[in-house]
Amino acid sequence: MKQLIDISKELFESKQVGYIIGYAEDKFKRVKPFVAYSSLDTERFVFNNNSVNNLAVYLTRLPKAKEGKIGIVAKGCDIKSIIALIQENQIKRDDVIIIGVNCNSVVNQIDEQFSKENTAIKCKYCQVRTPAHYDYLVGEIKEVELPEDKNFAIMQKLDSMSAEEKWNFWEAEFEKCVKCYACRQVCPLCYCEQCIVDKSMPRWIDSSATTKGNFAWNMIRAFHLSGRCIGCNECERACPAEIPLSLLNRKMGMVAINEFNYRHGTDINQPTLIGNYNVNDKEDFIM
Amino acid sequence: MENEKFEPKIVAFVCNWCTYTGADLAGTSRLKQQTNARLIRVPCTGRIDPVFIIKAFEKGADGVLVSGCHPNDCHYNTGNFHARRRWIFFRQLLDFVGIDSSRLYFSWVSASEGKKWVDVVDGVINSVREKGPFNGYKKLNKEIEIPVK
Amino acid sequence: MNTYVLSKDHLKNLALELINTGYKVISPSKDGRRFVAISSADDLVINSNLKPSSVSMKEFFFPKTETLFFYKRNKDEYDLIDAAEVNQPQIIFGAKPCDTSAIPIVSKVFNWDYKDEFFNKKVENTIIVGLACKFADENCFCTSVGLSPVSEKGSDLFMIPLTENTYACKVISEKGKKFVSNHSKIFTETIDGKSININEIKIPEKRFESKEVKAWLDKNFNHKLWDKLGENCLGCAQCAFVCPTCHCFDIVDEECNHTCGRRAKNWDACQFEIFTKHASGHNPRNEQDKRYRQRISHKFKYYTEKFDEILCTGCGRCTRGCPVLTDIGIILEDINQLAKESISNN
Repeated sequence: MKQLIDISKELFESKQVGYIIGYAEDKFKRVKPFVAYSSLDTERFVFNNNSVNNLAVYLTRLPKAKEGKIGIVAKGCDIKSIIALIQENQIKRDDVIIIGVNCNSVVNQIDEQFSKENTAIKCKYCQVRTPAHYDYLVGEIKEVELPEDKNFAIMQKLDSMSAEEKWNFWEAEFEKCVKCYACRQVCPLCYCEQCIVDKSMPRWIDSSATTKGNFAWNMIRAFHLSGRCIGCNECERACPAEIPLSLLNRKMGMVAINEFNYRHGTDINQPTLIGNYNVNDKEDFIM
Repeated sequence: MENEKFEPKIVAFVCNWCTYTGADLAGTSRLKQQTNARLIRVPCTGRIDPVFIIKAFEKGADGVLVSGCHPNDCHYNTGNFHARRRWIFFRQLLDFVGIDSSRLYFSWVSASEGKKWVDVVDGVINSVREKGPFNGYKKLNKEIEIPVK
Repeated sequence: MNTYVLSKDHLKNLALELINTGYKVISPSKDGRRFVAISSADDLVINSNLKPSSVSMKEFFFPKTETLFFYKRNKDEYDLIDAAEVNQPQIIFGAKPCDTSAIPIVSKVFNWDYKDEFFNKKVENTIIVGLACKFADENCFCTSVGLSPVSEKGSDLFMIPLTENTYACKVISEKGKKFVSNHSKIFTETIDGKSININEIKIPEKRFESKEVKAWLDKNFNHKLWDKLGENCLGCAQCAFVCPTCHCFDIVDEECNHTCGRRAKNWDACQFEIFTKHASGHNPRNEQDKRYRQRISHKFKYYTEKFDEILCTGCGRCTRGCPVLTDIGIILEDINQLAKESISNN
């Protein structure tokens, strides 16, 4: 990780950045987000298979740097969400310095040892192990063993179910939701100043964690991310109730690809899908 | 109760400038239509947040109709184009969580299409009547209803 | 009070009998991730080596959403209708000392000036069978908050593994004694409570002195440590919602239709931005560092001052589930270190 630390130091010494968001280990060798404010702090930077957090979430949460830009250490998938934020005009490209990292897949369950079985499913289809967009690039690509895509079978099974069976499947899942909104808070693209569930006049989504209120919340969360989610799966990882939120996101991502051939967060200059329209959009469902 | 004939409840979100005026025309023209649909007037189809549709189903609607100006006729130029793109996603999301998206109907009805409005509404009501009641939320609502002793 | 010997078969038979007599039998799920009501005695999980479940068992006393009463419009007036009384007896198996001890701790706040009948009724109807804990990882710190893997606090009956298939079952409370006498067919073989060997159970080392932590908190409402903590925290409330002792709630009115509705008590958490937001728009805890300070201070200072209890059982759930791995144990160790430094500086 000398490369990463050297570049970070250089950025501080040339006064290009105010702070750098990266990963560091705590005393139990667990990797967690860490903000470095000086070149001394950067000594703590690490990157390995446990660097699972999507740090792009901090770009809209932390205050702007007093001087200089914001540096961020990011994997290929995290860079997609940085690009998405730029596409959606939440940050400016000139305000961030992206230190891209060649990623050799990340852990699924953070409290267990990294292994092939314990690799995040998103890594299976990763196209950006070497990031597609960056200012600096560090790390080396190694051969990795890819995990099994357990969700694919579930998706197929869901597609073959009747409406009632699907409803029962999701009823059992959403029943567990406790409305802690961790899914919202860890999402780099959930940056609204005030979330629709926090609005009480009128109250559109019940604040009670009844199954009915949970249905409304989880559907609206998925809808607000449709055509926008870049699939980092932080929501599912953060969920204490272990609801398979990635299935919803994946379905919406497939709609974006199938209907519009669109992938969010791949091109800085591409207009966003949901914020725009085309007069020739399909309307075979409209009478 | 069980022997009673099922009469569907339909909520129709209609835009102020086209469909609502079209429905008004149907009324002033004395055209006959079934009365199961409750109209909710909104400024534009672009104003219809999908959460409105979820709320309608929550509150016991068996079907929802969304109707507005034809493409290129929008009072605000592009409202219905934006809305259309959202619906493409929303319909598939409903299907995925188990709310049959064929209970959600869309139409373009202009201010001069009183006759089309009557046909659309009658068509929707008949089709929902055939499908029967939407029971998903009825069960969930029990959680917050006054228990029957 | 007596101590009995129970085998796994005894426990299964007991669970079966209880299910058949209308008890809600609660045990850790097969994967140990949560507590669930079981419908078959085969689903009973008794395992001292299990990691604490990811969600605590508080929902069986303090549900995530609970109806207080219903209202119905009657011309120009409103009729209030009581929520259906829950009288189903419950029994919880396999609860660790860090789960069981939470009940007497939060009971104090639910019985302070207003007696919360909803909570009390459920506690009254519940038999808690504690289980000595053989699990300890870097997130656990029960010994630092005055508990231990063999604390009997909050249990009605307490089990300690003797061999692979047998447990010593101590009777702790009067409620437990009554329960045992009602099921005397199963509780037959007794053993001398003093002869049980608990040396096999590893007692984790103390990580910090809660008294010193409190003394530091008394003096350092403003400290740069809080800024640092607020920076990483994303402000989700996962920590509060999985915590066995967090008990904040919100009261909302929810309409069912235009003529009726209900008033409900829902889980709430101090990590939410809107938790302290005033109607005027002013928010006294407008930044995450202030909200994180509140979390620590409530647990280790305010609650201790008011009720002489630490509002934490050291189970480590908040750390295990935290998306950014904010470790409350390490924070408390750091505070303890700061406290020691400030003492030696004076």
